[in-house]
Amino acid sequence: MTTELLAVRGLAKAFGLSNVLEDVSFSVMPGEIVGLLGPNGSGKSTALNVISGFLPRSAGTITFAGRDISDAPVHAITDLGLVRTFQLPSMPHRMTVREVLKAGKRDDGGRFAPVAYGPEIDVLLQEFRLAHVAGHAASALSGGQKKLLSVATALRANPKLLCLDEPTAGVHVSLRSDLVGVLRNYVAQGGACLVVEHDMLFIRDLCTRCIVLDRGNIIADCLPGELENNPRVVEAYLGKAIEKGGMAQ
Amino acid sequence: MSDFLIHVISVSCIYGILALSLNLQAGFTGLMNFGLIAMFGCGVYGAGLVHRFGLPVALGPALALILAVLMGLFLARLGRRLSTDYWGIATLSIAEIARIFATNLEPLTGGAQGISGLPLLFSGLRPWDGAARLALFAVILGVAWLICERLVRSNFGLGMKLIREEPQLARALGYDIDRIRSTVMVIASVIAAVAGVLYAHYLSFVGPELLLAPETFLIWAMVIIGGIANNRGVIAGAFAMQFMMAYVPFVKDYFALPSDFVAAARLMLSGGVILGFLLLRPQGIFPERVGGRHDH
Repeated sequence: MTTELLAVRGLAKAFGLSNVLEDVSFSVMPGEIVGLLGPNGSGKSTALNVISGFLPRSAGTITFAGRDISDAPVHAITDLGLVRTFQLPSMPHRMTVREVLKAGKRDDGGRFAPVAYGPEIDVLLQEFRLAHVAGHAASALSGGQKKLLSVATALRANPKLLCLDEPTAGVHVSLRSDLVGVLRNYVAQGGACLVVEHDMLFIRDLCTRCIVLDRGNIIADCLPGELENNPRVVEAYLGKAIEKGGMAQ
Repeated sequence: MSDFLIHVISVSCIYGILALSLNLQAGFTGLMNFGLIAMFGCGVYGAGLVHRFGLPVALGPALALILAVLMGLFLARLGRRLSTDYWGIATLSIAEIARIFATNLEPLTGGAQGISGLPLLFSGLRPWDGAARLALFAVILGVAWLICERLVRSNFGLGMKLIREEPQLARALGYDIDRIRSTVMVIASVIAAVAGVLYAHYLSFVGPELLLAPETFLIWAMVIIGGIANNRGVIAGAFAMQFMMAYVPFVKDYFALPSDFVAAARLMLSGGVILGFLLLRPQGIFPERVGGRHDH
């Protein structure tokens, strides 16, 4: 029997009187790519923030790789192998793209060892089509390139579970299939993904399972192909898209 | 070399060490320490207290080291509960509290009179004692520069820079921000305390007037003029500011100005340099070199 990599049980999060998450439970198994979907304000990013330790939970438990991480600090959660990216990645002004990538793997070669750029940095730069901007200030990248850099940097941290918050927003269509390839390759090598995303084509191409949130509750946990036949999902999230001509649009 | 020139360069070396300490905190880690002088005070009073209580001189640096580590850890601990801007204000307050303690704890610190008669370094080498002191200060400045350079060019230094600019990204990548800041504060505090020990044995006197807040802003001016986050730049800034300060009395004599002019002009010089550079050239004379050799 395969043990769960991430197990979320009865997770709740309130901001004052507003309950953003109510009794959310789900799990991610090794080798899975799980899409976390839902309309704006459904609690997807909040769920990611709580799971990754950036926000304290109001109730519930989170276990990762067999360890209770419900109240663990962010760096301890990352040390266990749960690494995340952000919806709006902000990048440093006075560090180059290459330096940011290098910083993705902490203390690579020794804590106080001089910074050395190994060939794996160049491979990632090529893979994410960032080689031509490797020496540029990371803040000077376009929004889409910043997204790619944040995913590449997170991959450098060698995560067991990579949590991505809208990785394709602002990324050119031609690069999305590359991103799918890179993430599939990462999962094939033993990783797992939890992806918050609005782009249904990306979700269909990438994910093995989808969880749909609406107003802080899970309303569906199914295969990507089953989404459009789920009336609760259609009503909560996809109704307007279907009216305009189908989910894929 | 004239005694005057030796004196100015010697003091420039000591302030260069202080500028490196501030640069490590503010330049590379984004820790806006406005109470650096308290760290310097650990060194000054470490040497002074050992002399006052008749203990061996060699214990001075040891006491300074202990006080500096405690001060660094205390300020870093304070930073866990405060945002960086409020922390900056808190450091200024801590430095003022330290100065007021030094002024009023007369049985321990000698109060406003301070502690005098500390052994002067290399006093037995007259007439070459000034040059010997200068050589020692220059060597220690070189060692401090080497330590700072190695630190900022290491993986740890990369983490410092990431924390400086994008703490959220650094956290997401697993950097323990509190731990890194504490380490930087302790290293920087020890460097500042070394400068304090040297200064105490250079002046042969220790007193609360060495811990005045304008001294911190003088060091800030050195860092800003030289180029924040550039170790060579801040040393150049320390020399430039010290030479400007040293020539203020000559300007006073030339224009036959009242003696109050010197202190006022020095304050105006620090403030003017900070303001002028922040407005016109915030990156300083020698800007930070972004990226490593692979990126150029």
